[in-house]
Amino acid sequence: MNNKLISFHEVSKIFKVGDENFTALRDINLEIKTGSFMSFVGPSGSGKTTLLNLIGGLDVPTSGDIFFKDIKLSSLSRNMMAKYRRENIGFIFQTYNLLPVYSVYENILLPLLLNGLKENTVRERVIDIVSKVGLLDQIKKKPSQLSGGQCQRVAIARALVKDPLLILADEPTANLDSKNSLQILELMKELNQQYKAAVVFSTHDEKVTRYIDREIGLEDGKIIFDK
Amino acid sequence: MIVFLFRGIFRDKSRFLFPISIVTIGVALVVALVGFMEGVFMGMIDMTANLDTGHLRLVNKPFYDEEHLRPLDRSLAAQKETLKWLEHNTNSDITWAPRIRWGALLDVPDVNGNTKSQTPVVGMALDFKSSDSFEIKRLHLVESLLKGKLPLGKNEMVIGNQLAHSLKVSLGQSVTLLGQSFDGGLVADNYTIVGFIKFGVTTMDKKMVLIDLIDAQNTFYMDDTVTDWLGYFPSSFNFTNYVDVKNKINFNLNTWIKTPPKDWAKDDIPITLSILDQQNIGSMVKTFTLIKSFVVGIFTFLMMLVLWNAGVLSGIHRYGEMGLRLAFGESHWKLIFTLGIEGLFIGILGSIVGCIIGGTFTWYLQEIGLNMGDAFSKSGLMINDVVRARLTLDGFIQGIIPGIFSSVTGTLIASLAIFKRSEANLFRELEAG
Ligand SMILES: Nc1ncnc2c1ncn2[C@@H]1O[C@H](COP(=O)(O)OP(=O)(O)OP(=O)(O)O)[C@@H](O)[C@H]1O
Ligand SMILES: [Mg+2]
Repeated sequence: MNNKLISFHEVSKIFKVGDENFTALRDINLEIKTGSFMSFVGPSGSGKTTLLNLIGGLDVPTSGDIFFKDIKLSSLSRNMMAKYRRENIGFIFQTYNLLPVYSVYENILLPLLLNGLKENTVRERVIDIVSKVGLLDQIKKKPSQLSGGQCQRVAIARALVKDPLLILADEPTANLDSKNSLQILELMKELNQQYKAAVVFSTHDEKVTRYIDREIGLEDGKIIFDK
Repeated sequence: MIVFLFRGIFRDKSRFLFPISIVTIGVALVVALVGFMEGVFMGMIDMTANLDTGHLRLVNKPFYDEEHLRPLDRSLAAQKETLKWLEHNTNSDITWAPRIRWGALLDVPDVNGNTKSQTPVVGMALDFKSSDSFEIKRLHLVESLLKGKLPLGKNEMVIGNQLAHSLKVSLGQSVTLLGQSFDGGLVADNYTIVGFIKFGVTTMDKKMVLIDLIDAQNTFYMDDTVTDWLGYFPSSFNFTNYVDVKNKINFNLNTWIKTPPKDWAKDDIPITLSILDQQNIGSMVKTFTLIKSFVVGIFTFLMMLVLWNAGVLSGIHRYGEMGLRLAFGESHWKLIFTLGIEGLFIGILGSIVGCIIGGTFTWYLQEIGLNMGDAFSKSGLMINDVVRARLTLDGFIQGIIPGIFSSVTGTLIASLAIFKRSEANLFRELEAG
């Protein structure tokens, strides 16, 4: 079975800053397998977010090709790209980005609604995942009533609920203290094993190493190690 | 999804109350303003129709051409036959009222029978006495009677209250009408003033004399003859209907003229006019409609501007939500579509509330009225002193449509910014919180 989920071929990303060209990623070759649990590490400005952007179909490379399975992402239209994200990618952000007017339950419901599912058909599924992240007794609360760690759990549930093939998390623990960070990482790892969704996150925290299957080091837009 | 968004709208008062208040205020203002304008204008039109022009008017063309001279010799004979014809050949929902427009000198004698004062008056003779006559009601004469009674006995008259004042007459005063008869001779007939009327229209209060139709026919020797047939529609008819019906009647008249009643003169040409053909009312209606659309248009435009900005503000307020939905793969079109639905919903809700508020206000003005006697007394226009607004379905529609339209377009214009938002920056934007 071919378990190649994402592959990069000679991918570069160059930003124009005024008249200058700034190369954020340089000739990246990379493969991500289904169900893997991996992270990009590197100092600020090394290109982690840019890389996640490209994987998530939010941006396109300046040169080189990115494939999702056998689909070349750069050949997709804006709408097809949206569909790709909608169906396959779950996002987790450093600042959680929960919608303040909605409850925990509703925040997690949103991606399912965006995929055209009806609320009454997915209620169980939402409740189930809320209990998996251990927030069943907070399910009716608004994000403002939760702690940072709890918010990030909601965000994880929100990313997972649509059963994506890939979850992208940009520095998911950066806003949390170390105890919460470790709990979040443990939870992500656990769910990665249960749900078979590949989890790719970025961090500049070296502590995470013991949880991950694979660590890719970035510096100045280049891969400096892959272990 | 839509239900989900509405939950958000209701919880987030700041993005809900402001636009909805704008729509509500705008629609309420439009409904009230249109109601007020309609009331003033249609009040004037109805007043004119009831007193003077009818909605339709069948008149002998030679009379109409020299109407200002009141040429009674060119009146239209065969009253009974004409009524029969009208009843058979025109819509059954039109009621026809025979009238005589006359002009004469009103001579007030002193105790010795010598002239105390004399003044030219314009008069109208109408059917006061038939049991099936609707004229007293139509002209609100019972309500308008300031003093005395209506002319129900023989040779009695009621006159405008300001005319009474300037003639210095009191009730029961016997006066003489000096005028010209149907056949051109001089006539003089005695009448008794039995009542003073406040028409509420300054020009009429100063000049108008009303007598009974039969009395007028006796005085002016015009048996079975009238000058006018005024046709009245139920209020559900609008101006376009008037023209259609008028054309139909004129078409039928052309046939009738080929075999006319024997009492008609050879050169009698009965014609039908609608109110729009008389007193310049047609062009006034056009102007009025134009002004009304202008007012409604301005309000729509202003509402749209405000709602556009409200949409932009709400766009900033919901920047995170929109970004998140884009990142999660909602297409730009879908996002804008849902915003449009939200705008539609806010437009509808605001319009309903606006209609209730504006409608209540208009209804109040319709039932109670606003006395503007002083403001209008010098204008000489046929405007009732007490202005009443008019609550019409049209008025509501003219409020609701701009309310909904401006809400949807305002939101859509504001949300065009979403197209400019590039996905590439979403991560960074969302990271910023
Ligand atoms: N839209 C852009 N225009 C210009 N330069 C950009 C743009 N996006 C990123 N860059 C630059 O590309 C480089 C890599 O940025 P990126 O955000 O990927 O770094 P990062 O590894 O995520 O850093 P951090 O740890 O601070 O989040 C940075 O120097 C950044 O300034
Ligand atoms: Mg980053």
